Amino acid sequence: MLCERCKIREANIQYTEVVSGVKKEHHFCAQCAKEMDFGVYAAIFDGEFPIGKLLSGLLGIEDDNQGPDKLHQIACPTCGTTYDAFVRDSRFGCSDCYSVFGPLMEDSIKQLQGSLLHTGKSPVNQNIESLSESAAKTRGKSIKDETSEEEKELSELDSRLKEALRFEDYETAAVCRDRIKEIRKGNETNA
Amino acid sequence: MHRWFEQTPAGRPGIISSRIRLARNLQEYSFPAKLDEKESGEMVHRLEFGLRDIGNFAEKNFEFSLLNEMEELDRAALKERRVLNSAALLKKNPSGILLSKEEDMGIVLNCDDHIRIQLLGAGLCLDELWDKADKIDDCINERFPYAFDDRFGYLTSFPTNVGTGLRASVVVHLPMLSQGRKFSSLIGDMSRFGASVRGVYGDVEENFGSLYEISNLKTLGQTEREIIDTVTKAAIQLTNQEMQVRKLSLQRRRIEREDEVYKSFGVLKYARRLTFRDAMIFLSQLMAALSDGLVLAKNEVSVYRLMLGIQPAVLQKISDRPLSKEDLDIARAEFIRKELPELK
Ligand SMILES: [Zn+2]
Ligand SMILES: [Zn+2]
Repeated sequence: MLCERCKIREANIQYTEVVSGVKKEHHFCAQCAKEMDFGVYAAIFDGEFPIGKLLSGLLGIEDDNQGPDKLHQIACPTCGTTYDAFVRDSRFGCSDCYSVFGPLMEDSIKQLQGSLLHTGKSPVNQNIESLSESAAKTRGKSIKDETSEEEKELSELDSRLKEALRFEDYETAAVCRDRIKEIRKGNETNA
Repeated sequence: MHRWFEQTPAGRPGIISSRIRLARNLQEYSFPAKLDEKESGEMVHRLEFGLRDIGNFAEKNFEFSLLNEMEELDRAALKERRVLNSAALLKKNPSGILLSKEEDMGIVLNCDDHIRIQLLGAGLCLDELWDKADKIDDCINERFPYAFDDRFGYLTSFPTNVGTGLRASVVVHLPMLSQGRKFSSLIGDMSRFGASVRGVYGDVEENFGSLYEISNLKTLGQTEREIIDTVTKAAIQLTNQEMQVRKLSLQRRRIEREDEVYKSFGVLKYARRLTFRDAMIFLSQLMAALSDGLVLAKNEVSVYRLMLGIQPAVLQKISDRPLSKEDLDIARAEFIRKELPELK
């Protein structure tokens, strides 16, 4: 099928929208889709697609470059999602898919998200508190002078985190971020 | 009981509503697309049971319904009121929703993700909505461990939601700015800034009603506050620009605008048939004129409520029989005639 906009290139993006309760299907080529405002993102916002080619575009599968054969054999052991299905649907099947396909698509996620490191909130009471964490807490409680020490460390850690992110050193960034959280958590409980 | 959109909007002109959505998944189940009917049913049941008293924490009365057992029309109407998305409409396996009476808080179970917490409010209120969503999220998490990764954050079905799982959005009304030649480049600027802008109603060629939704493009690598800040700033930026253009239009072509809105008002008041497109365009003109003080209503009104009221499934629902497309246009005109405010 040809793209309904330029009528030149092959349409490989299907876009479904519901207007006044009537479902309409559109077929565009990747280039036109990019030029139009609904963009790659808009279409996937509410799972309102299927715009399956998103990842295949990002992963460059169409170029058929090196070793797609090997990739085709990959499947998630937990939920059975295959690499092909994953690329086609742009959808993970379970949390383990992240460790299976995650490393393969770090670049794509980076391209999509601009980052590879979560800095927002974390689950409550989910992880068993580590020893060092609870130790830090009790210490913080009894000795007031430590607050300024902690503040110093916090600002130091913060600049180290920013530095690490700039150089895309995510390992170091993760360490810094965890330490920051640890300190802040200690402070919160004291407050 | 008033639903959230039935209240008259206050505050910033041009900002219609705010919405916060959090995507979460449980640790112990595969994501919804990989669950069979039995597993889906079991999980939805466990969640429903486990979250039975969640209303106490949110100070709301929630009602639970199974989406897969709901009438198609009811689901479509909920979609038009922005409570459900299309994935929820197509879902065959057991899925559910806990919804507050005012429809401003909902927890959707087993659609795109196991849990989607969503909050809606009139005007610009992302901060308040986030605070509430954050609390509900913690409440749920105390009972159900989430799928979470140290690097990727909250794990979601789609890579576009991973990290915070947060989509913050604001609906704005931009009738004049969107007419301008610079609008598409403005949208481009916004996307470089991390905010996406897309039309709420209409098709590829045309927008009906000039309502645009601004949301965050990225969900990973920023804190929730940073995301909310980005969207809030984009919304303020765009509506400020809209208001500047509008102010100019009042100075330079007031009579044209008066003429336009009174004509639109006349059609809305007297027409016997109205298509969705036409109704949205006329209501949009009325919305702008009321906000600019070009016309004054005798009693306070929410034009947005009228816009939500003329959607097909919503109209279909208040009718006692199935409506053809033509009947729908008649019902729409009737609804507007009844609900339209009087002008001073
Ligand atoms: Zn094209
Ligand atoms: Zn999997």
